[in-house]
Amino acid sequence: MSEPSYPAAQVLSLAMDIGKCMIRCGAEINRVEETVMRICRAYGMQQTDVFSIVSMIVGTTRDKNGTETTLSRRVYSYATNFMQLERLNALSRKLCANPVDPASVRPELEEIRRDPVKLHPTVCIGYLIAAAAFTLFFGGTWKDALASVPIAVILWLIGSLVKVHGMSKLFVTALSSATAGFLAIAFVKLGLADHAGMIMIGDVMLVIPGLMLINSVREMLCGDLMSGMLRLLESLILSLAIACGFAVPILIFGAGGVSWI
Amino acid sequence: MDLKQALILIFAGIGGTLGFSLIFRMRKKLIVWSLLGAALTLGVYVLCLATMQHAFFQNLFPALAGALYAEVTAKLTKSPATQYLACAIIPLVPGGGLYYTMYHFVTGDLDAFHAQLTQTARVAAGLAVGIMLVSVLMHQLRRHSYRELAKQTEE
Repeated sequence: MSEPSYPAAQVLSLAMDIGKCMIRCGAEINRVEETVMRICRAYGMQQTDVFSIVSMIVGTTRDKNGTETTLSRRVYSYATNFMQLERLNALSRKLCANPVDPASVRPELEEIRRDPVKLHPTVCIGYLIAAAAFTLFFGGTWKDALASVPIAVILWLIGSLVKVHGMSKLFVTALSSATAGFLAIAFVKLGLADHAGMIMIGDVMLVIPGLMLINSVREMLCGDLMSGMLRLLESLILSLAIACGFAVPILIFGAGGVSWI
Repeated sequence: MDLKQALILIFAGIGGTLGFSLIFRMRKKLIVWSLLGAALTLGVYVLCLATMQHAFFQNLFPALAGALYAEVTAKLTKSPATQYLACAIIPLVPGGGLYYTMYHFVTGDLDAFHAQLTQTARVAAGLAVGIMLVSVLMHQLRRHSYRELAKQTEE
């Protein structure tokens, strides 16, 4: 190849940063590993080995001179963001087709990664629509669907505070579920809604790790056992946190008098 | 199940997909594709609910349909399949099942807890197997082109 060759450390560092970003916005693990490998290969690396789980990527690559480099990236938090994922995907495709100087790609990567808005109004609208729709989906009445909307706004505010203050995800999930439980009971007692349970499901769908559960089973079936097990465990622990959350209003007010299912 | 219930399931499900497309920060132009995917998945789901007994199969076929749709749409729109898949599958995700499971756990009704847990596991397995079958198929198709790429870089 006629292109200039870049040092293994520089290439791997860029590839791993792109991989880390992809995990952060919700990519599958095998896709992340493949992307890192493809980028390294495009830059003329001789051999690349990547291993990734949801919270960590480790990669080693060897360039033409036989110099080996190993780097790792720790991933702390993730939130699904398909717009970002799409741009990262386009960037890595571009790099594979035309491996330009890794240093010149940095500003673009930084621009994709930066997301200055903490409270996204779009996400809030999504919360409202999803909560009302799922309340109806699981058998609630129109009144229940309307009641789930203000609760969804509060869940959105609680969820957004996590990003601002970096609170523990478990704690926030339990808090969200407890708040939704109290408010659902309040709406039913005030006669504004019929089934506390239906409102709860509609709102809990926003925080319950259902998609994570499916993805974990899928990853295990595809052979990514480590990653799949971690995700399965996380989704079970989050479900337990939700259970602890709505146990509080049930224990205080009792299940009687209010329809929970 | 009567027609009214089926229509509520389909339209409320599509609403749920719309909400989650926004929460997942999908590009506005692509949202219509994810809604079509949800309509397809939910249509197949309603048919399966009416004709099949076991929760595994009730969820396997909609997942197959949704995953195939996601792969085809990804090719058409040149964007990752994950987003269409996640959005089309989300109404079927056993959020309700997980909630009921945890509810019975909290109230101490262990028989109901066990029954719900089994049911939720069946749903999750059905969806995961459906998605996996399609992704294995796509992987086989893609591996071919990946090898070609590997050859090119070695030259």
